[in-house]
Amino acid sequence: MARWPALIALLLASHALAAGPDPAAGEYLFRAAGCANCHTDREHGGAPLAGGRKLATPLGDFYTPNITPDPDTGLGRWREADFRRALREGRGPDGRHYYPSFPYAAYTHLSDADIGALWAYLRTVPPVRQANRPHALPWYLQPRPLLVGWKRLYFHPGSYVPDPRKDATWNRGAYLVQAVAHCAECHTPRNRLGGFRVGLYLAGDKAGAEGGLVPNITPDKATGIGRWSRGELIDYLKTGMRPDGDSAGGLMAEVIDNGLSRLTPQDIEAIATYVQSVPPVVHAVRPAEAKSAQDEFEY
Amino acid sequence: MKRQFSKAVVLGGVLACFAAGAMADDEDVIKYRRNVMKAYAAHMAAAGAIVQGKVKGSPAGHAKALEATTKDIAGMFPAGSDFGETNAMDAVWSKRAGFEKRAKDTEAKAAAFAKAADGAEAAAKFKDLSESCKACHKDYRKEQK
Repeated sequence: MARWPALIALLLASHALAAGPDPAAGEYLFRAAGCANCHTDREHGGAPLAGGRKLATPLGDFYTPNITPDPDTGLGRWREADFRRALREGRGPDGRHYYPSFPYAAYTHLSDADIGALWAYLRTVPPVRQANRPHALPWYLQPRPLLVGWKRLYFHPGSYVPDPRKDATWNRGAYLVQAVAHCAECHTPRNRLGGFRVGLYLAGDKAGAEGGLVPNITPDKATGIGRWSRGELIDYLKTGMRPDGDSAGGLMAEVIDNGLSRLTPQDIEAIATYVQSVPPVVHAVRPAEAKSAQDEFEY
Repeated sequence: MKRQFSKAVVLGGVLACFAAGAMADDEDVIKYRRNVMKAYAAHMAAAGAIVQGKVKGSPAGHAKALEATTKDIAGMFPAGSDFGETNAMDAVWSKRAGFEKRAKDTEAKAAAFAKAADGAEAAAKFKDLSESCKACHKDYRKEQK
């Protein structure tokens, strides 16, 4: 008898599945993940999601692909299973391995339902005919089988498993940070093989995305954002204004404008809860001189 | 006549040299604008605490200071001040028209904030100004070092 509620829940869930994934839910995730930021060449006035934005990295220049439903240059001929495999396994429909410049190391942690919703949304965007530009990589990084080795070292596939010791808000935040918004992709420094450096989770990078500085966002008081109150972090994620009155710029301003500022207050609070819970890491990314000026600033 | 003309050229050249000498050194310009930007940030943080109700008071003084010091933002980024200790992106100079448009927008938003009464109106104008700062930083400033 005690099984009835579970059975009813199962029936309801299967009904929800039968109704099909919801493109609106997919659009919400699409914004939270910031897909359009990389897949649009905004600087050169490129069409939305038609790709072509250059991602300059120490390993070479990657050019993002067209993810509109155009049949010849985009994802028009893909099936949902292809999309699922791209996100979950980092592999194309033809089986080739993707470079981790596409953040599948994060997207692999998405739930099945969320991948379905994202796919449903991507089918609704206007197709744009624009051929992909090949990556500009040194010859020794061009053989894709190398990526098998990279994946063995650094890739941990599988959807997010909630931590039963933590509450729902924390788990939602962890899911958003780790799987959807893929914060660590920029905020965790990498080694020379492009893997995350051990013990520096979210601890920032002196020369990170686009050669710029990426701040330490762990709760360390001296080098991270440990002096920020919960309210200040929430305000920053919503508006881009830091506690010292400065405004976000560069890539983070894109992330806030196109993504975080459109999330529900609950999701922003969940992200703040999770980010403030990660282990503080002492990792100075700013030059000492500017840092002392900044410290002075915080009082 | 010709002689007079060449005299004029020499005089003009001498004057130009004086003018260049009188003009601030590029490094000084960079230091100056960094300090002005810090002042903006400090006034924004202070005004923000008031409009959010964290502390009592009126944001008017901060708003007026912002209005008074944002009259010519683009002027703080003259040609030649694009090296060394600056987080300004090359786009400040290579996409000048876009940059000047953003700078003008910030000037207008600061003026609107200074005109606003206290309360909800000030909070709304404050938010507009903050958005304008971010919009310019998005395209024209590297992450702060």
